[in-house]
Amino acid sequence: MITQLKSGNIYDPHNKICNLKNDVFIQDGKIIDKKDVKSKVDKVINCSDKIIMPGAIDLHTHIGGGKVNIARLMLEEFHNEKEPGYDSSAIIAPSTLKTGLKYIEMGYTTCLEPALLPINARQAHAEMSDIPFIDKGGYALLGNDDYFLDLLRKKSSQSTINDYVAFILSATQSLGIKVVNPGGINAFKFNQRALNVDEKSKYYGITPREIVEKLTRAIYDLGVPHPLHVHCSNLGIPGNFLSTIETIKAANGLPIHLTHIQFQSYGNNGDKGFSSAAVEISNYLNKIENLTCDVGQIMFGQTVTMSGDSMSQYRNHHHAHPNKWMCMDIECDAGCGVVPFKYKDKSFVNALQWAIGLEIFLLAEDPWKVFLTTDHPNGAPFTSYPHLIKLLMDKTFRNDILSQLPKEILNHTILHTLSREYTLNEIAIMTRSAPAKILGLKEKGNLSAGSDADITVYDRNKKDIEEMFTHPSLVIKDGKVVVENGKIKEYVWGKTHTVKPEYDRSIEKDLGKFFEKYHTMKLDNYILSDDEMNRLIGSPVYVNDCKYKRKQ
Amino acid sequence: MTSQNNIKNLVCPFCSIHCDDISVTTTNDQYKVHQKNTICAKKIESYNLNNKSLVMPMIGKKVVKLSEALKQISNLIEGHNETLILNHGVELAGLRSILNFASQRNCIIDHVGSKFLYQNIGVVQRTGYMATSLTETKNRADTIIVFGNEIFNKTPRLIDKVLVPKDSLCAKGKKEIILVGDFSEKIVKTIKGKCNITNIKLDLNLINDFLKLLAANDLKSMKGLKKSELTKIKNILDKSKYLVATWTASDFIKTLNPNKIIASICKHIVDLNVSSRAACMPISGVLADATSSQALTWMTGFPSRIKHIDGTFKHDRNAFDSQKLIDEKNVDVVIHVSTINSEKLQINKNITNIVLGHPNTSFTSTPDIFIPVGIPGIDYEGIMFRTDNVVSVALKNIRDIKLPSAQNILDNLA
Repeated sequence: MITQLKSGNIYDPHNKICNLKNDVFIQDGKIIDKKDVKSKVDKVINCSDKIIMPGAIDLHTHIGGGKVNIARLMLEEFHNEKEPGYDSSAIIAPSTLKTGLKYIEMGYTTCLEPALLPINARQAHAEMSDIPFIDKGGYALLGNDDYFLDLLRKKSSQSTINDYVAFILSATQSLGIKVVNPGGINAFKFNQRALNVDEKSKYYGITPREIVEKLTRAIYDLGVPHPLHVHCSNLGIPGNFLSTIETIKAANGLPIHLTHIQFQSYGNNGDKGFSSAAVEISNYLNKIENLTCDVGQIMFGQTVTMSGDSMSQYRNHHHAHPNKWMCMDIECDAGCGVVPFKYKDKSFVNALQWAIGLEIFLLAEDPWKVFLTTDHPNGAPFTSYPHLIKLLMDKTFRNDILSQLPKEILNHTILHTLSREYTLNEIAIMTRSAPAKILGLKEKGNLSAGSDADITVYDRNKKDIEEMFTHPSLVIKDGKVVVENGKIKEYVWGKTHTVKPEYDRSIEKDLGKFFEKYHTMKLDNYILSDDEMNRLIGSPVYVNDCKYKRKQ
Repeated sequence: MTSQNNIKNLVCPFCSIHCDDISVTTTNDQYKVHQKNTICAKKIESYNLNNKSLVMPMIGKKVVKLSEALKQISNLIEGHNETLILNHGVELAGLRSILNFASQRNCIIDHVGSKFLYQNIGVVQRTGYMATSLTETKNRADTIIVFGNEIFNKTPRLIDKVLVPKDSLCAKGKKEIILVGDFSEKIVKTIKGKCNITNIKLDLNLINDFLKLLAANDLKSMKGLKKSELTKIKNILDKSKYLVATWTASDFIKTLNPNKIIASICKHIVDLNVSSRAACMPISGVLADATSSQALTWMTGFPSRIKHIDGTFKHDRNAFDSQKLIDEKNVDVVIHVSTINSEKLQINKNITNIVLGHPNTSFTSTPDIFIPVGIPGIDYEGIMFRTDNVVSVALKNIRDIKLPSAQNILDNLA
């Protein structure tokens, strides 16, 4: 069957197409070139007053795994049984069904879980396989696991570390590697309450800098497309921009992605000891070629923070709203903490956090290096993306909100001086083409022939940009119309994206012994095979290419 | 012709530790466990087929074809007002099918162990909570305090796998184990020698008072406990660098206020974290309780007690309490899904009882309809969650007795 999207205004930054009137042809779930349309077009969809973009990609959203389930369980009172249509779970901790429905209604077709604990990978994938519509994947957490830290303590070769990283990617069916508070989660298990970039952990004697150096190198050597995804040390602490800069330097010029950088861009100036360091961070972002980030914008209202960073979450539990929280040490692998939180527009700190995120967006010279996220649900639920897009595209709207916030923040932010307004093409870059590029998803985020037919069609007659991005006219997933004028037309189930760099299998012998001695399950039971993913977990695996053959 | 097969590393589906180091030999349909751990071996082998095993569907006491049993179930559900699906233990795929079936047929879902689940999660839903997992406890804990003896009946291998393991990454000295409650000599003997053991025969009702005293600066004696004994315990706790408190909620069911006991343990642990490290590790039930609560939570937002109504659902932990629904006759059909239960299954009078159970299921009286199903991890593959909720295991298939899975039956009925 061939479908034609006729005469739409196309935004496809990957192919340098910006607001060009053209057609898109779809066959068997893929986009095809007009010259390859050999038979009759079965369905023509008139898009003459529509905008056509590739399906959106969220490269950092907490949608699966133990911590998400803790939040769902903890915040039962926020689930609203009166919501009509479908299930009642709260949008700050939605069920798998609601996650899929809300994402697809906004035109998002691929989402990445950024904190996939290797030991919890089976659950995370099982959970995500119950999310309808979207393709998904995850970044495996490393850098706090005892096996890795012991490798560093023993001064193991980079090649051995590369083998371990490649093994983890394969065994956990992940698309990338993330490090959270490098070494800090592990140090917290030994009762250390802070760990700066050049501070040695008491038990292993390893610094966060060493961890970042080794892992960025491993990702580079293995040719994994997505750079090391880093949640820096000292999250949320005033003055932490200095440790963020040191973390950037730890990559030694190799590719590195700093996540929810808003939470890492704090100064400590002023009588409240809290100020914006967005300018300092943006200077680095603009000048260092291999540095990318997602923002982690906050929005005012109730949410829940969830993180592998048990050290930070324990520190922050005093701010819990409502007053309940949970932290957990997990399997010599990692940790987690879940703390509900309400961002208040009358709060100096929260208002400044809001401004800092926007500053980073607006100071970024290259939209290919900055990604639109709220670190769902840590800064806000992902359903606030259309509102965030409006904040970026409409300076009057932005300044109106800024004028209602505590006046004192103006002494610590330059947001009111920034007149930039994002264009639709720049929004298409940061929500489609750029994430696909940084993740190595060649068949996503573009409208090239051969790419997946994941497409979002917007009504360009809608005057309010927030409304336009909230309710696309049409969402197509793998060539099927799944949303039409806000109504779900058909349920489809996506696949799991992975990457599998080569590695020396002898690492499994050593790991097997480690599991035998210290774990409470065997290595064989820890490894997720493609077959298990497909038959038992319920999500077929799609293996993406590495950038090149392994270097060492 | 005899076929024999040696299987290493069977993943055991029958308790919430889900050990994956069991070796068995299968000979035709029978399997034999190699391990010397007789408690577990005996239990695992008790699921072997015997001359009392029910391998054919039955309506009452009459053997029928599967198609006939399925048709009868369908008619029964159509003709009744309220159907409860009562989960006595099933793996992930079975649970997904329960939810699908319930949404198609407007049923209520509950798990038999929900009341214990709600005692533990009550803390997460009301206050602060520090938790840990099995491997952390094995490698990090220098002190473990065990409240109540039921834990070792439920999960016998907690001792050798976690509490006093042969190897530990960080906890190098002899561990301190404090047993609070009435523990058998056999248990004490098993643990003794491998660690320093302190056994306090304390009435579990007094746990709250016991912990309050330990938190106070000036120690004094309490009922059944001398000041010197308390001082000894306080010294152990003060020296600890990583303390783990463990219990199983069903142990507190006969106490006056189980919720208060669990809350006081959790609060004590949270308070210790101001200056040291400590964490809780409750042990869940053995009927795939963790599998049920985890999967239902991600699929609906609620861990149990859900009623489906025409494409939407409601949750009410009191109104949809299975025992209450049955006692008050607010359901007229109960579908018991029981793939790993070794206890006698309660058949409720004046209610239609349908059982999807493993062939060795025993009943208090004959159910209206019985359909034998395979055992996950023995007869078919599947996924189950461990007690600490963070680890799930892949169950294997080790024999073929030509039985459908609970998932097969429920999908057929939906």
